[in-house]
Order: sequence, then C-alpha cells, then structure tokens
Amino acid sequence: MASMVGYLGLSLLLFVIGAIGVCIRRNAIVVFMCIEMMLNAVNLSFVTFSKLNGNLDGQIAVFFVMVIAAAEAAVGLAIILAVFRSVASVETSDAAELKW
Amino acid sequence: MTFMGFVLALCAVASGIGVIGFRNPLYSAFSLVANLMTMAGLYALLDAHFLAVSQIVVYAGAIMVLVLFVLMLLNLKVEGGPKLGVVRATIALGAGVLILMTAVQPIFRHFEGMSAINLRENAARTVGDVASIGEQLFGRYLVQFELSSLVLLIGIVGAVMLAKRKSATLAPRDGYQGAKEV
Repeated sequence: MASMVGYLGLSLLLFVIGAIGVCIRRNAIVVFMCIEMMLNAVNLSFVTFSKLNGNLDGQIAVFFVMVIAAAEAAVGLAIILAVFRSVASVETSDAAELKW
Repeated sequence: MTFMGFVLALCAVASGIGVIGFRNPLYSAFSLVANLMTMAGLYALLDAHFLAVSQIVVYAGAIMVLVLFVLMLLNLKVEGGPKLGVVRATIALGAGVLILMTAVQPIFRHFEGMSAINLRENAARTVGDVASIGEQLFGRYLVQFELSSLVLLIGIVGAVMLAKRKSATLAPRDGYQGAKEV
C-alpha cells in the first residue's frame, strides 16, 4: 500500500514536470517531448492501479496509450516539419498566426 | 517502494527535470530517453513485464528515434530569445502546484476503504506477462486491438501527406512531356 502511494506520487510529480515544461518551453519539439512525458506519467499510474485492483485492464489501457502515442508522434512531427517549412522555425510563438 | 524502485524514481525525476531544463533540445531528447528507460524499469518492478519491454521498443526505440531524426533534420540551434521571465516561471510553477493540490487529495482518499490484505492479494495476482496480456488483447479487447491497427495506418498516411513537399503534388510537372520528345 505505502509502496503504491510512492508510485502514484512519482507519476504525479512527472506529470507536473511535464505540464510545467509545456508551459515554459518555446521549442515545439521539446513541448512535444513534455507531452510524451505526461503520457508516460499517466501510464505509470495506470499500471499501479492495475496492480491495486488485481486485474490487467489498466495494463491494456497502457498498451493502447502507447499505440496512440506512436501515431501521435508520427503525425505531430510531420506537422512540426510542415510548420518549419512555412515559417522556418519551430518556436511556438512564431507559428501564432492561423494564416500565412 | 523497494530500494530499486526508489533509485529508479529518483532517476526518473532527475531526467524529467533535465527534459525541461536543458536549453539544447538534443540534450532534452536524450534526457527523455533516460526517463523512458527508468519508466520501463518501474514497469518491470510492478510486474508489467510485457509493458516494460514494449516501452523500450516502442518509446525509447521507435518514437525517440523519430524525434531525434527530426531534431537532426531541422538542425536546430540552442533555444534563443530572452530567458524565462519571472512572471512566466511563477505562472508555470503555480499551475504545477495547483495540479498537485487537486490530484493528491483524491489519490489518498481512494485507498482509505481498501484493506491491506485485499491489496496484497490483488498485487500478487496481477502479473502482466506476455501470455496474460495476449489473452486479454485477443479476447476481450479484440475489436479495440484491430481498430488500433487502423489508427496506426491512418497515422502513417497522414504523416506522409503532411510531411510531403509541395512540389511533389499529383499534378504533372511542367517539363513532364519530355519523355515523348526524346
């Protein structure tokens, strides 16, 4: 029980670090990596709750999160590349206009 | 949490801070690789063996290679511009603390009703090895599993469409008839 709270606390801490990173970093790729870290933090709590509840549903959820994260990585990086081609920068503040 | 878990947790937090702390995005990326590796170790400690391996293969392998590839392709310099202002740092830290505050209370309340013996039995029963995960994936979650392959396919097609250069559109290029003239 106490050990599980430790895992959940770690998950929470990593999620908050990721959220702070999304707020303060301007490089779109680093923001993207922070989002990956937040996804991972949630995955850790999924696995912990799966262990606490005694079934594997949480681990299956983590599997699907990984699948979606892989698809998201491909599409997200392609979008970053497309933005880089049109504004020659990956700073989030440089892509603030909806039309260019 | 065992001693090993404690060490891994420390590494995870340190590398997590590294991801948002380094000015050079390349260092951030390698920091994230370290973070994902320690997470894989934590999964293994939680008896989620299948997830620990797929974490390394999918995240630390495939996704991070993609990220590093894009970083190298764009040939980015160290993040320029003004350093992080006091106002923005305060807002970010405030948001982080707020998330912590809202999340901590429910987590601890959730476990008040559960007895320690129950939890220990549950924990001993849950081993996510390949056989049991596969049984679930190809049994109860078969439809979702098949749909996820569709999602991946759509993702690949979308990525190719987005990353394609403008000049490579389907319309024939100006000098195309040249083949006949020869």
